[in-house]
Amino acid sequence: MQILTYIGRRLIFVGPQLVGILLVTFLLLKLIPGDPAVMMLGPFATDDGLARLRTELGLDRSIVEQFGIYLWRVLHWDLGTSWQTTMPVTSDLAQRFPATLELVTLSLLLALAIGMPLGVVGARNRNGIVRKFADIYGLAAGALPDFWFGLVLIFILYTILGVVPAPLGRLDFTIIPPPDVTGSLLIDSVISGNWPALRNAAGHLLLPVLTLGLINAAPILKMTLSTMERMLEADFSRYAEMCGLPPKVVARKALRNSLPSVITIVSVLYGFLIGGAVLVEIVFSWGGAGQYAVQGVLNADLNPVLGFVLYSAILSLVIYLIVDLIYFAIDPRTR
Amino acid sequence: MSVLTVDELVQHFPIAGSKSVVRAVNGVSFSLDKGETLALVGESGSGKTTIGRCVLGLIEPTDGRIEYNGMALGGSRTIRSPELRGKLQLVFQEPAESLNPRMRVFEQIDEPLRALKVARADREKKVRQAARRVGLAEALLERYPAEISMGLQQRVGVARAMISDPEIVVLDEPTSALDPTARAEIIDLLIRIQREQGTAYLFISHDLSAVRHISHRIAVLYLGKIVEQGPSAKLFAQPSHPYSVALLSSVLLPNPRIRAGGRIRLAGEIPSPINLPPACYLAGRCPMVIDPCREKMPPVETVGEHHSVRCYRHAEVAALDKDFDSFGRFQAEADRILGAGIPASGTV
Amino acid sequence: MAETMENPKAGLPDAADMLLECKGVSVSFPRYGAPVSEALRDVSLDIRRGEVLGLVGESGSGKTMLSRAIMGLVPPPGEVTAGTIRFEGKDLGKLDEEQLRRMRGRDIAMIISNPRGELDPLQTVGQQIGNVLRHHLNLTRRQIRERALDLLKQVSIPDPQRRMDAYPHELSGGMAQRVVIAIALACSPRFIISDDATSGLDVTVQAQVLELIRSLVSERGTSMMFITRDIGITAHYCDRIAIIYAGEIVEVAGREVFFDDPQHPYTVLLLAAFAQNERLRRYWLGGDKVQEYTGPSPVGCPFQNRCVRVEERCRGEHPALLERQPGHFVRCHFPVERP
Repeated sequence: MQILTYIGRRLIFVGPQLVGILLVTFLLLKLIPGDPAVMMLGPFATDDGLARLRTELGLDRSIVEQFGIYLWRVLHWDLGTSWQTTMPVTSDLAQRFPATLELVTLSLLLALAIGMPLGVVGARNRNGIVRKFADIYGLAAGALPDFWFGLVLIFILYTILGVVPAPLGRLDFTIIPPPDVTGSLLIDSVISGNWPALRNAAGHLLLPVLTLGLINAAPILKMTLSTMERMLEADFSRYAEMCGLPPKVVARKALRNSLPSVITIVSVLYGFLIGGAVLVEIVFSWGGAGQYAVQGVLNADLNPVLGFVLYSAILSLVIYLIVDLIYFAIDPRTR
Repeated sequence: MSVLTVDELVQHFPIAGSKSVVRAVNGVSFSLDKGETLALVGESGSGKTTIGRCVLGLIEPTDGRIEYNGMALGGSRTIRSPELRGKLQLVFQEPAESLNPRMRVFEQIDEPLRALKVARADREKKVRQAARRVGLAEALLERYPAEISMGLQQRVGVARAMISDPEIVVLDEPTSALDPTARAEIIDLLIRIQREQGTAYLFISHDLSAVRHISHRIAVLYLGKIVEQGPSAKLFAQPSHPYSVALLSSVLLPNPRIRAGGRIRLAGEIPSPINLPPACYLAGRCPMVIDPCREKMPPVETVGEHHSVRCYRHAEVAALDKDFDSFGRFQAEADRILGAGIPASGTV
Repeated sequence: MAETMENPKAGLPDAADMLLECKGVSVSFPRYGAPVSEALRDVSLDIRRGEVLGLVGESGSGKTMLSRAIMGLVPPPGEVTAGTIRFEGKDLGKLDEEQLRRMRGRDIAMIISNPRGELDPLQTVGQQIGNVLRHHLNLTRRQIRERALDLLKQVSIPDPQRRMDAYPHELSGGMAQRVVIAIALACSPRFIISDDATSGLDVTVQAQVLELIRSLVSERGTSMMFITRDIGITAHYCDRIAIIYAGEIVEVAGREVFFDDPQHPYTVLLLAAFAQNERLRRYWLGGDKVQEYTGPSPVGCPFQNRCVRVEERCRGEHPALLERQPGHFVRCHFPVERP
């Protein structure tokens, strides 16, 4: 019951939060020099034509008015059209956002699978070889730029060894994509039983996921290592030792107590990577949401950017809500 | 002449995000004379620390009046106002936490003088004087808090509190973090300083052995109310409130033959100050409870000179055990056992 | 190690009666670029079956280190550098880590202070008691639950059924202390170490908990080492008292003798802290003496810097723990004598 009231209270604030985020983004974008009308009509446009287009786009009105109009349309789930793709932003994002989500989710799962065990083992044995490896790994992965690492992987695994498909999008052109249900190619191909598509999509995912996963394992590793170390030295671990509980059980207690910190860092990484994976998306021509938004910023194409911000904000809020619910489940003190 | 009068002090803390209120102090009145020590004793949740904070003006009371030398505290008149600055001081429970780890002992003691804008030359002299008075060797003035023992740290705390010649010092559990011997040394030090300077102490503590030694009068607190108040010796010898009896009989003196008559044993633990019992706060735990205790808070009754109690059955409680005073009995034994080995002259 | 005569078990019945024997135990911590620091020096102490030994010392005296040495849990880089600890005749130093672990909590249990900080915040009371039962005894889930509930009843926790599912933060200090006692009793150990177990409690609650520990221990005939810095407690709950100062035992005696005829100046100092008599206090506590360095001295008697009776001999010669009367051991060149 308590959880429900909590969720309810959180949801009340979602609306104002979203409006606030949109407002700030809107104003920031207006500060960037660049006239959409000029961009759209090109260098040979007449002044007359430009003025007409501006009126059409509502650019001649005050910023407050423009924002009001935009909000009104958002309320009706109309995010406008991108003049670059000439498509409604909602349908653009319906395609691109899942692409990014799939990439980021899988990458973070990989990062967790690497970072957590390394951190736990490293914390349990401070003089062991795993710990030394973990320290070096954390340092190295923390220092490498992800897009560069992606390029290196492409060079080795595609150019030289040729074991992965070309870094050009999510699927080969020759493969018939599965019908769009969730937007995730892996899930959709499984649903439709399209096994060639599944194989091919997985092959395309391999390198970008490896790139982002290996790099982002570093913060997870560091957080797990330090929290786990602290928990293993905490009073309750000492007491568990005195009670003669096996080291494994003591470690499990410590791990459970470390989970909130690990979850926090994962949620932060998740929110960050939605936009932060853009360089890797570009390297692999992923056609993801981040790429879409950056194109929008560069070409004064306002609607895609605002749409992206809105989607990411909603996603972040959902992630934080989920994180809080996990805290609820793990830690009785938060109930 | 009282230097401090507290009248019907009430302090309630609202809990953020809920309608409940922590009723920390619920109508407490006492006064403190010049050069006197009043001990506020009680267990956690009794409100003793909160009272200390109110007296210092660190928190604004919900209700009631605090007067310092006839001047009401509150509003703009706080411990920081010019007419009070340096007159009210505090010694903390945790010496290590109350001292700045990056300041030398000298600077720590000097701090109040700097705040009072005393001339530099005077300060130097005063700090050295204060250090000598609390038994800190000259060499220690150049040390950092972490380099000296906890007992010495607390001496620094005392020196810092005393350097501005305060009239009232609130001692908030000054000994409870210390080892027993350091505890006794600090108590002796405080007594000596009081004799020399005539400072009044509000001594907040649950260390009853120390309380007995240092205080002239004692107020026993339970859930933010004074249940018994009286002269130290009288209260220890003949407590009249069941809670005082229970509290005093819990004290374990280092002599296997001496135990306070434990005729009153309280059930359970202190209730939460959020949901106070409706009438006598002790009714739920008291073995001597009768119907009126559950209906109406007992009034304050005077049972002797400066001795008052809040209990319907105080006469019976007082008569429970004629030979209650374990502290008194312990002293007789202690004289015999500890007196041995002391040279007749009293010095080595 | 010249003090061969210092094993304080002379005058006692045969060795089969002995539960725990510490003989010449030293624990040292290597320090980088400095001589090793000794947390325990040549500690010899015996505990008989059914006996409650009080171990009194101030913070840093090594009293907790002794309990950790017995449990085989000296924190690295510290290590037991000398001496033997025998439990029921077995040399604990010869056991491997796994054997030691099986003993902890089952044969030798621990009651700790500040239980709310030491219990796992994420597990219920029932789970934490169950953990210990599961890993030491072969019981079914149901038996574990029943036994845990029974233990909560034994430590007089009101409404035990409901408390089984409570988390540590939902318990009061006294209640958490009772849970820790229940965990200590879970596997019916022969020896319990209580390390400052009641120091964080309010006095009336402390009295309740001490009574509870005493009655549970004497019902079962469990031996106990009661570590505390409050000498007052030991007068009422211990059969024999040992005083530890700077890692050394300085006085041991049975309760009656100990409090009637304390002979080490440090013991007397501890007792004098409770006295009201001005003359006693001034002599033993030093009155308005200016404080210089009062820590333990590395040469001679460790207590010399705080001793009111210090003489030239104490500065140079380390005193041995000598048996001055049967069962009464004192480590002092000039013990206090009573007519």
